[in-house]
Amino acid sequence: MAKHRIFGYCTPWSVKPGEAMRFMISGEGVEEADAMLVRLIHGDENPDGPGFIEEEIPGAVTERLHVRRQFTQKGAYATVPGLETHDVADGSFTLAAFICPTAPGKQRQTLLGRWDISGSQGWALGLNPEGHVEFWVGNGKDVDQVTAEVPVIPKTWYFVAATWDAKTKRARLIQLGRVGRYNGHLGPVVPYDYNSITDAPLRVTPKAAVAEAPFLWAGASDWNDRRGRFVSTLYNGKIDRTGLWNRVLDDDALHAIADGGAFPVDGAVALWDTTLGYTDTGIGDTIVDTGPHALHAEGVNRPVRGMTGWNWQGRDDCYRLNPGQYGGVHFHDDAMTDCRWEPTIEWTVPQGLKSGVYALRLTTAGAEDHVPFFVRAVTPKAPIAVLMSTFTYLAYANEHLAYEAPIAQAITAHTPILTTRDVEFVKLNEFGLSTYDHHSDGAGCCYSSHLRPILNIRPRYRSSAMGMPWALPADLSLIWWLESSGYDYEILTDHDLHAEGVAALKPYNVVLNCTHPEYYSERMLDATEEYLTSGGRVIYAGGNGYYWVSGLREGEPEIMEVRKLDTGSRAWQAEAGEGYLASTGERSGLWRSRGRAPQKIVGIGFTAEGMDHSTHFERMPDSFHKRVDWMFEGIGAEEKIGTAGLGLGGAAGIEIDRYDLSLGTPPHTMLLGMADGFSDNYPLVSEEITYAFPGRGGTQDPQVRADITYFSTRDNGACLGIGSIAWSMALPINHGQNPVARFMKNVVDAFARPGPLPGGAFVGEEKLWR
Amino acid sequence: MTQPIAPVFHRVGNRRHEFTLAPDGNRDWHRGRVPGLSRHWLKWRGGYNPKTLQRERRLADKRPLWWLIGLGGLACAAPMLPDTLLQVAVVFCVFAAINVIWTLIIGAAGILSLATMAVVGLAGYAAAAANVYLGVPWPLMFAVGAFVGLVVGGLLALPSTRIDGLYYALLTIGVAEICRVSISQIRALAPQNSSINNVGSFIPQDWYLQRPGLLLGFATAFVLLLLALLLFRVINSERLGLQLQAAREDEDFSEAVGIDYRRARLHVFLISSAALGFVGAYYAMLYRSISLNVFSLDQLLLMFAMIVIGGMGRAEGAVIGTAIVVVIDRALIDLGPLRIILIAAVMIAVTLTTHHGLADVRSQFRGWRHRIRSERRAASTRKGGEVMPEEATEIADKQLIAYRRFDRRLRDRLKEMVTPELIEQHRSAPLGPHSDALARVLNYFRRGEMPDKYAILQEGDAGAWRYSVMALSGEPGKPPRVVDDRVYETRDEAYHAVFLLRVNDLLES
Repeated sequence: MAKHRIFGYCTPWSVKPGEAMRFMISGEGVEEADAMLVRLIHGDENPDGPGFIEEEIPGAVTERLHVRRQFTQKGAYATVPGLETHDVADGSFTLAAFICPTAPGKQRQTLLGRWDISGSQGWALGLNPEGHVEFWVGNGKDVDQVTAEVPVIPKTWYFVAATWDAKTKRARLIQLGRVGRYNGHLGPVVPYDYNSITDAPLRVTPKAAVAEAPFLWAGASDWNDRRGRFVSTLYNGKIDRTGLWNRVLDDDALHAIADGGAFPVDGAVALWDTTLGYTDTGIGDTIVDTGPHALHAEGVNRPVRGMTGWNWQGRDDCYRLNPGQYGGVHFHDDAMTDCRWEPTIEWTVPQGLKSGVYALRLTTAGAEDHVPFFVRAVTPKAPIAVLMSTFTYLAYANEHLAYEAPIAQAITAHTPILTTRDVEFVKLNEFGLSTYDHHSDGAGCCYSSHLRPILNIRPRYRSSAMGMPWALPADLSLIWWLESSGYDYEILTDHDLHAEGVAALKPYNVVLNCTHPEYYSERMLDATEEYLTSGGRVIYAGGNGYYWVSGLREGEPEIMEVRKLDTGSRAWQAEAGEGYLASTGERSGLWRSRGRAPQKIVGIGFTAEGMDHSTHFERMPDSFHKRVDWMFEGIGAEEKIGTAGLGLGGAAGIEIDRYDLSLGTPPHTMLLGMADGFSDNYPLVSEEITYAFPGRGGTQDPQVRADITYFSTRDNGACLGIGSIAWSMALPINHGQNPVARFMKNVVDAFARPGPLPGGAFVGEEKLWR
Repeated sequence: MTQPIAPVFHRVGNRRHEFTLAPDGNRDWHRGRVPGLSRHWLKWRGGYNPKTLQRERRLADKRPLWWLIGLGGLACAAPMLPDTLLQVAVVFCVFAAINVIWTLIIGAAGILSLATMAVVGLAGYAAAAANVYLGVPWPLMFAVGAFVGLVVGGLLALPSTRIDGLYYALLTIGVAEICRVSISQIRALAPQNSSINNVGSFIPQDWYLQRPGLLLGFATAFVLLLLALLLFRVINSERLGLQLQAAREDEDFSEAVGIDYRRARLHVFLISSAALGFVGAYYAMLYRSISLNVFSLDQLLLMFAMIVIGGMGRAEGAVIGTAIVVVIDRALIDLGPLRIILIAAVMIAVTLTTHHGLADVRSQFRGWRHRIRSERRAASTRKGGEVMPEEATEIADKQLIAYRRFDRRLRDRLKEMVTPELIEQHRSAPLGPHSDALARVLNYFRRGEMPDKYAILQEGDAGAWRYSVMALSGEPGKPPRVVDDRVYETRDEAYHAVFLLRVNDLLES
């Protein structure tokens, strides 16, 4: 294990000169680090390209930093501030909840309670390491418990209640299965007897935990001398409506609750109603307490809301239709959406800093890190904008595909290429998951945040699953090309587009997408459409764009949400009824499934992916039309375009898009180029498969191809679509002297100029002799 | 190539022999507890029958049941036994009690002391002398015995922390012999044959050696055994015993977490010695006399045989061993000296066949059955081959069995596709384009399970990269491991090296 480590992250991600930023840095085995602001020009160290290029900006940042180890709290839980003053430990009490454990057994998990692990003090309801529901109490010295007779069945709803009678010193633990036809993993035909009622005298009288240990949902407070207070024995699973009373509720009362009756108000300390708080645009992290003290629970690390509850009847598939059946709050012990580190540097972006992709480079003995961020122009001046795919960067942030997804090698057709840094990353396992990973209970991860070090947006990073750059490091090839071609360009991010809409694009004559603009919010689609309809020009040079319905919660742009639904190339699939974004209220899944296939906006959309080999484009007949032949100036009629590249050796490949009128490609779209000859490792995407039959791979299916399309819009607007992730990564070949770059230069030069486009006059009726 | 043995499909399935309850989940389950402790009386475990998913309540620890049957049977049978056998039962109870306490010293405290009978004897003499010469009434003899036991235990404990186990064992044998010789020399203490007679007792003088006296003797000896077992339980299963158990597993670790195991050992040794002293006093009262026999090496070795036969470290071992040896030694008295040979034979048989005495036979039997099962399975199925009915009973996800069968057949087909030409085709273009055959073989490799799946490690600086082959763990947080020390210059060579490893795995399977 490496002795020296340094990691950092920053917020906000996209800034303008004059704006404030914070850098959070943690060092292990080091106390000092050198910081240097650098502008990133190129990332991939592939010897076929320009290699890693950064431009140092001396004097912009404090150059010698003191760093220390900062700890990261993993796991989703909810904390109830203020309950310590209403603790029930000195008398009788009842704690009741609906729960659906998803990974019982193996280790102790705390469901609910005020329990101090290090002090063995308090009371809590949880699951013991054998997977039985347990209610335990501690007096600071000894711990005693009452345990349900049978283990809980995973992914099954239960009503559980624990009562403590301070007079008789007896505890009672009731567990009642709540198995419906829709709400759980198993149906009613399975002859389990889920119920258990255990009654026992306790030898220990509970004593309220210390004030620093709050009442928690899905975890318990722990302490050690290096970290201080933290939360452990985290829970995997859902918790629905929950109540705490300062009296013993009898069996009749508890059965009435279990059957769906109202929670009694008499003696209530807290009555958390997880079904409250839903709006048409989603729900936040607060779990509402309707009891006398309004002891609301605050979610940490984004417990997943908008999930089906114990009483889900299967008829309504969204919390907007029937919030009363959407009381499930799903907690994961490995969820992590905010490292919550202390800021190491508070910094104001200096005036006059050129717009670009920057990073704070941290160097210390034996370790280095780049913390990338994006600087926009205060007032846009350049004609060209590059839209950095920050949504996509989040979606893939710290993905573990190469290490944990058995099918990854079959998809990529690659044996993973790991670096020593990747091996360290696997061991570290601390900075959370991507939307391509599964939580430890098998559920897909729907949240990804940039409030954590993201190792795979480091400029030199190569995706270990594919042995090539992915996302930001790949996009830097476009930056290098613009830079080395002397273009005047500025940077935008998905987050800016989401926040500002078309206003962010409007100042520019042309906007270039990056290699993989896969994750898009509705506002981003709307803005792109509005830009195109009002004279804007878009070069969509990427693959599999505008694909997943993604969202940000208002006011919290750091965390993106996506739910992977019924179709599409999906790393996981949301459970039935859980396909709507809690951040926005929208149905997630593919934009195509919601009537907005990418073809409707940029002419092309996702058709296949494969990572064995990229190929080249060829001109199609339309490219000889005078409307567009200026784009091919300097390129022969049958010249292969992009026979080399940093993305698997060609300009066409990795993820590829195609023209399709049936999916909404504008009818006047011209097909300028295509690439075919892909291997069967490029199978047709699943959203195209209705009947499955043999031969849907690249060697047999005509839909497996990459297209270059062009169409014009109102007011001299235009859209060029180049459906390939590998395209931009082919620009740096031969120092930028290659047909791909030539084509791009022809187009960018024309698109960046205001006024009519070349060839715009050739719209007459074709009267041909040939 | 040898023809594979045709698999034989045996029928499997068993009736239920174990006693289980079928509780109703809607009925209260009152968990009784031992007064003053948080322990439950019995270790009931709830669960589901994996065949029917019906609710079951099972006694997870059946030892209380066996104790009840064994000791209950003895208690019920004793009044019906003839006098001679009743005396054997008494001897059994007394020696079982001593051995149970001795087991605490050897097993729980881990002190290899052979001075057990020396403690019993010294305390017995002291208590008898106190009664006969000082007129101490018999009930107080227990206190005298226990006190002397504690003092002697304290003296014996001193060297135990300093010298090694075997030397300490020799030392304690010496102590026992010194006691015997010393007492035989103290005329004032024991004028006749070095024994003290006419000791006061809980058995009235006129009942002595009569039926009521024997019955009372048995009853008290039985209670003595119960007390010894209680002591064993209290020490071994509560705080002190748990501390010592932790120390036995890892001394350094337990010390690090604040367990003072030396102190705990000393406590156990002292408590046990006091208990042995108590037994010594009882012994003198039971026979109304005490003689040098208690110190004899024969006696010590006989008890050693009991422990060896039963198994060290467990109360049930001490009791079973005592029962066997006492029955041979006392009940088969007609056999004469042959008895000792018989005991030796049993001892040798037990040490040759069992790992930890008779008490451990059950788990040893299970281990043996497990080994036989593994051997048979290895013999009847080829590597990665068919799942046999026996193995299927242990696989909850039946799809895995289907996968295994499918996989075997697929591999058989793929093996035929692997030719030198195919390998050469991969070498020349690891990332393609590939023939259909090579694509099929590769796709099979790529779809494999995550654990031990190959990956390539890239090291060095840009432009001068070196590659080697690793295997992934498939577990979050667990890094991949290095497969071999070969280093490849280019990525394509590394891809091909992985391919060759996989081909090799395929052909070998």
